[in-house]
Parts: sequence; C-alpha cells; structure tokens
Amino acid sequence: MTAMTAPVRNRVPRVTGVVPLNAARLLGVELRRNTMPWILPLIAVLFWFDSYRPSAGTSPLYGLRTFWNMGQGHTIIDFGPFVAGVAAWMGSRDGRRGLADLVTATPRPRWVAQLVTWAATAIWAVAAYLICVGAMFAMYAHQGVGGTPPWWWVGVGVAAVTAFSAAGFAIGAYWPNRFAAPVAAFGGFLAMFLSSQTGFTHQSGWALILPTNSYDDFTGSSQTDSGIFYPWVPDVPIARIMLLAGMAIAALGLTGLPARAGGQWLRRAAAIVTLAGVALAGTAVGLARTAHESVEGAVIPALHDAASDAPISYSPVCGSAAGTSVCLNPAYGRWLPDVTAGLAPVLAEVSGLPGTPARITQVAASYPSGGSGPPVPMTFGGDPLALRLQLGILNMPGACGFCGLVTAQQFTDQIRLLFAHAFVGAGGAPGSPVQQAVQAALLQDAGIPIAAQPTLMRHVENYPGAEKGPATGPVYAAARRLAALPAAARHAWLATHLAAVRAGQLSLGDLP
Amino acid sequence: MTTTGLHRPAPGSAPPPAAATIRVRAAAGWRLARLYLVSRRVPMALALLAALGALLWCALHWHWNVAGGAAAKEFIPLTIETGAAALVAVTTYGPFGESEQAAGRWLPWLRFGAAVGLTAVAFGALATGAAAGGMPGGTPALLRNFGGMVGVGLLAAVIVGGAFSWAGPMAYLLITEGALAHRSTTPWVWPTRPPHDRGGVICACLVIAAGLVLITVRGPRESTPESGPAS
Repeated sequence: MTAMTAPVRNRVPRVTGVVPLNAARLLGVELRRNTMPWILPLIAVLFWFDSYRPSAGTSPLYGLRTFWNMGQGHTIIDFGPFVAGVAAWMGSRDGRRGLADLVTATPRPRWVAQLVTWAATAIWAVAAYLICVGAMFAMYAHQGVGGTPPWWWVGVGVAAVTAFSAAGFAIGAYWPNRFAAPVAAFGGFLAMFLSSQTGFTHQSGWALILPTNSYDDFTGSSQTDSGIFYPWVPDVPIARIMLLAGMAIAALGLTGLPARAGGQWLRRAAAIVTLAGVALAGTAVGLARTAHESVEGAVIPALHDAASDAPISYSPVCGSAAGTSVCLNPAYGRWLPDVTAGLAPVLAEVSGLPGTPARITQVAASYPSGGSGPPVPMTFGGDPLALRLQLGILNMPGACGFCGLVTAQQFTDQIRLLFAHAFVGAGGAPGSPVQQAVQAALLQDAGIPIAAQPTLMRHVENYPGAEKGPATGPVYAAARRLAALPAAARHAWLATHLAAVRAGQLSLGDLP
Repeated sequence: MTTTGLHRPAPGSAPPPAAATIRVRAAAGWRLARLYLVSRRVPMALALLAALGALLWCALHWHWNVAGGAAAKEFIPLTIETGAAALVAVTTYGPFGESEQAAGRWLPWLRFGAAVGLTAVAFGALATGAAAGGMPGGTPALLRNFGGMVGVGLLAAVIVGGAFSWAGPMAYLLITEGALAHRSTTPWVWPTRPPHDRGGVICACLVIAAGLVLITVRGPRESTPESGPAS
C-alpha cells in the first residue's frame, strides 16, 4: 500500500471537555506567569494612603466615608492607571519578544490565547480591588460606621478595573513597545482627571456617566442619608457599569481584528464583539442623558425599580431634651447626647409658648425643591407639632474631612441657632428684622452672647443671610432690649406676639 | 611570535597621524553613544516627549482644569510632567542584561549622559509647551517638579527595573494628589509647596541627585518580574 492508495481517515472529533480543560490550564499558566501581582503591593499601599486614610477623617456615616473614595472615584484612580500599565505590558509581551510570528503558528487562535492572558491579568486586578475594598469596608464596620455600604459603586469599581485592563491590554497588543505601559497608565490617569473637569461641574445629563462624577448620590448634603433612610439608588451605577463593560468589550474585540489574530470567522466575530461593546457604551450614555434628580438621588426611568424606593425601616434611638422626646436614626445615635444638649436650653426657654414642638424627630436630609434652593435643616409640622431635624445637612461633631474638626460646643451652638431661626418662622430666608431680633434674644438667653452670633452664623454651612460684620445696628439694639427683660416678662411678650412675629407683622419699634 | 609586543609599532613603520586617531576615536564614541541611545529607544522617547509638550500647550491654552481651587488647577500640568519623567525613567531599561555590563566600561557614563540629556530635552519640550501661558508656578515650579519626578523615576528604575520604573512617578503623582487635596505641605511632596520654597527645592534636588548617582553607578535592576528582551 502506498500513500496514494491509503484510505482517507476522518479526523476524530475532540472530546469537548478537553477544550475547557486546556483553556483552564492555559489560564492557570497565565495566572502564575502574570506580572500583575508584582505591582499589587504598591497599589495596596496607595489605596490605603489615597482612598482609606482620607475617608477615616470623616463622620462615621457611609454616605460621607465613601464620598471621596467611591463617589469621586478614588478607588478607581488608585487602581486603574497601574492596571492599565501592567495590562499593556502583558498585551505587548509577544510583540516585544519577537514571538508574534511564532505564536501565530500554534493550533490555538492567537486571539483566544490573548484573551486568556488578558483574563489572567484582569482576574488578579479585580481580585485585588475586591480585597482592598472589602478590607476597607471591614474597617468601617469595625468602627461602627452607620448605614449600608454603597455596593453598586463597588460594582462600578470592578467594571472600571476590568475596562482599564482591557484598554491597556489592547494598547499593548497594538503597540508592542516599552513605552506602551507608561502611555497606557498616564493616558488612563489623564482621562480620569479630564473627566473630573466635566464631572465636577455638570450635575445632570450625559456627564453623570463619568465615574468621577460625584453628584448623583454623593453630594455630601441632600443624599448624605443614602443607605440610612432609603437605599442607594442604583440607576446611575448600572449605567456606568454598562459603559465600562462596553468599553472593555470593545477594546478586547479590537485585539481580534488583525490578520494574525485568527481565521476569517474569528475576526468577524471580533468585529461583532467590538460593535456590540460600542453599542453598549452608547446605550449607557443615552440612558444617562435621561436621568433626573430626585430626593434620593439621580433616577434613570428606564432602569429605575420603584421597589428600591422603599424606605429602610429602623427602630429610632430616643432621648429627652427639656422634657421633649428627641428621636434619631440609629446611624446617628452616637450624636444623640450632643443633639439633646444643644436643644435643651432653647426648648426650656420656649416651653409653653405657641408652636413649641411636642417631639423632635430626625428625617432624611433633602433640599426643598428637588435639589435647588438652600437646605432648611429644621422645620415644624405634623399634629401634634413636631420639629423635623435633618441632621444629614449639618456637619456633625468630630472630624469631618475637608471641613476640619467640629467641636461639640460648635455643634450645640449650631443646633441652637438653627432651632431659634426655625422657631421665629424665618424658614429658608434670613427673616424679618423682628424675627432676627427675637432670634438673637433667644440665643443670648440660651448661652450664646449676641456679640458672638455673627461669627456663629458665618460658620454654619448654608445659613441664610449670615451677618458679615459685628453685632451692631437697630436689629441687635432691639435684641439687646428684649434680652434685657426679665425672663418672665419676655416669655409673656412672646406668648402674646409670637404669631405676629412669625407672620412678619411687627416692626422693630413694636419690640419692648 | 607572540602578541606581547604588538602594542608597539613595528620598527620603521610610520606612526598614525594624531588628527586621524582623534577622528577615529570620536567616530567610535559617537557610534557607541548612538547605539546605546537606539537600544534604549530614545528616538521614540523624544517623539513622545514632543507630544507631551504639545499636550501641555493644549492644556494650558484651552484651560483644561480639574474643577476646584488653585491646587486642582496644578493637576493636569503636573500629570503631564510626571508622564514625561516616566518616559525618561523607562529609557533606562536595557535589553542586554549582564553581557552589556561585562563588555562596556563606558556604560555608567552612557547611562548618566542619556538620563541628563533626555531630562534636559524633556524640560525643553515642557517649557515650550508652557509658553502657552498660565503655567501654575511658572518655569521654576516646572523645573523643580519635573526634576524631582525624574529623580523618583530613576530611583524606581534602580529598585524595580527600567521597564516598570513608570510606576514610581505614577505613585508619587497619586501621593501628590492626596496631599494637594488635603493641604499637606511636607517638602518631600514638593509640588504642594510654592515655587521658590527652599525646602521643596532641596528635597527635589536631593531626589534627582540620588537618582542620577544610583542609575549611573548601579544601573537599573535587571531581574524584573518578566525579564527578557523588550522593544
């Protein structure tokens, strides 16, 4: 028998289980030979320095603790550029070593092998990200931080790390050069910071999609109570995950387009994958354009689940201030003594007057008109009359990050000022001259000298109509006259005229 | 006959003219330097540095700024300066390893010359880009910040190898970002200090001096996580 006459044998089909096994083995080899673990200790140190350490100086509430590292995307900034650089190094491996022709001749398509290399790189990076964030949240839990963690933002971080690794890998695969790694790293870093230029200033529209845009649930004021009174709204994070996943898919698809990547069908598949990634990212941007502000955060109608709006149930922690019940969310429970100490003198002073609250209860922080207008931390309402306290708007005692240190005395003075301001009916405005004078007299009697009040007003964030100069002029002269009255006489005058004061019907000459 | 006496010219032969000897040596030196620079991909680095200079010009001309205070406005120029420093550091990566060290007695001087020359060219490119105006701190701050960053990059090359030396300036940039945001003013984070601050200048000078000395004497670390040839 010769070769000419030998029967043609059909190729025995592979056992299907062999392919995944081989792929798993290849992935194992790539995981062992990957460069990413070498850079992870440096990333971990930077993560501690740049993401965890600054957050430890803020109030122990998740909305504030995670404002810097999750809201402004610093966990992504700490990981992303390094991951992109190392992924570029891995992506350029074959090209740098002059092995591109050699590995193209192996049975496995080049694109598939490249995807395995990228997968190993991304697995290391994502695992390290999750470990770092997990350790940070464990520290928060150990410190008794109030509320629930913003888990959706962790998902955004994972997607961002994956996208950085894919983009870096594509740069390395297309440009196998020693400079691919620094170009990918610094390019990623610069892109993040250039996006901050838009992200910090654009509070709606497509700019919400940028991972450094902290406006949606992390304004530090109206949505401070996310995860405390109501769940974190996941709409914008979902759109961001879509964007980042789309970018990752498109970048990986691009690596399959060159002729050396594989056969015609494989390259066509890579082109489809690329287009799918672009479409996914474009869809995410389109969804972000439809976002609108709500009390609980940015809402995207197409992604919004009304069930997620249900408030978080809790058992309040209560105390007493001058015989009036004061109830707070347990996340704010550590500040209950400060709140009662702040309210007690002013509550004792106005006891028995019309409009004195029967109870004081904390409510979720919110702006009066869906995000516009000044915040009003204390309002009266309900039957029996209650004082509604939005502590989420205030700087609580202790370290508060960028605002420095708030002492217990500063906090109690702030509480007294805001109570007196709300009690005279000034609301979100500076108040009429008579309202200002009555407020000043009440505060003087509660232990805040009139001379010190302008300084206090300047230091209370968002206080309406803070005084620029010293405590002089007709308003303060009237306030001093009122404060100089015996307590009983002042109380009697207020009992008679408080309704008129609130209605703005009196002039300074009407004050005793 | 042995090779013992070969260093002497044969009796009666004409000595080579002095000018020709100098020319030959100069040509050999130039060839050595050129080959060294090409092996370190310096031409590509020069192109990238020119691109960074242009990017700085665009950033200053069109006022690309991170929203925030004065510190935030420093940040994009600082990122570009750091990228340039990283490029200078990455050129220290040598593809030949031990064999080059064994064969080249001029290697330390080549390393020193390449680092200083490339730093000077990079500074020139950035200063040209800064001509667009509005550079925070002006030329003194550019010189101090960039010089110090190059020092960080060279130190990183000595510690982790030239291929990954970009991680040094990148890490320093992140530390600077945190320091700017939290108003830290240690002189070791010199970009946070005023341009003419003596402490910041001294620290930046110390770092670049240490980087140049170590890269000259020791060279970049050869055993990187993934040793082998690199383009």
